[in-house]
Amino acid sequence: MEFVLEIILNLVGFGVGLLIGIFAYTGFKNTGSPTLFRLTIAFLSISIGFGVVGLGYTIDSFVIHSGKIETGIQTLGIGIQTVGYFFIAFSHGIKSFFPKSRYLKSIAVPLFIIPGNSIEHIIRSISFILLVYGTIETIMSYMENRKTSTIFVASGLGLLALGEFLGWYSVVFPKSVLYVISISTKIVGLGALFVPIPKVPLRGIKFGGNV
Amino acid sequence: MSIIGDILTTTRDEVPDETGASVTYLIRKANISYGRISKILETLVQQGLLEQTSSDRACKYKISSRGREFLQAYRGFREFAETFGLRI
Repeated sequence: MEFVLEIILNLVGFGVGLLIGIFAYTGFKNTGSPTLFRLTIAFLSISIGFGVVGLGYTIDSFVIHSGKIETGIQTLGIGIQTVGYFFIAFSHGIKSFFPKSRYLKSIAVPLFIIPGNSIEHIIRSISFILLVYGTIETIMSYMENRKTSTIFVASGLGLLALGEFLGWYSVVFPKSVLYVISISTKIVGLGALFVPIPKVPLRGIKFGGNV
Repeated sequence: MSIIGDILTTTRDEVPDETGASVTYLIRKANISYGRISKILETLVQQGLLEQTSSDRACKYKISSRGREFLQAYRGFREFAETFGLRI
């Protein structure tokens, strides 16, 4: 039953990410904006990442019947999602994120190395850091523009970060409900990212030429 | 991209007369050089977003119906990018 729930949650993540990705792509196709191109890659990667994990669970449930998803598939899916998180952070100017001073580097670098017992740990910690960075930058933007929709995006990125953190923690307690909570948190996060989109005034876009 | 948005908005909302906006007027509104705006205007006319109207002294520009559609979409996608704290 838990396995089915995980499949559904991952497929929901795939669907929501795909919708936002298609929306961003439509924007890129019509305006040629590099920002929208980066958001397209970001959300399509997040969508594909969820899809890979969901597909892994589906194949395991209906074909292999082992009751445990292959670690490689899980890592691959999370890795693809991380590419998406990177592009969201990159859109905010990732260069400003990396500390210049040696002292700060000595503090920041172990954050990447300490959980390095497996590739999955490293990927999850990178995702977490990128998402926290994206959340902070979005909150900063909210302070400037005071748009309610920006708060939804900041909350969404924050929930994705929390989901990644819980996902990393579920490795410590493998048989707990933490993994389901992690995926659910990430889905709610993606949902929050989707909230502002229907409010965007778009009607009758017929042209497809890139300016 | 924002310059294109500014030019289209000006030709839609702030045209001084019915014949359209002159290059000088658009330069003042978009705050860019003549060389740069000329290339942008040429592209916008080629794409069908602006209509070039001839007046007795110089070329003037009016927004086309396709340009209006584009501007509406542009504003929507700008809003979308702004919700992420980004600029289009």
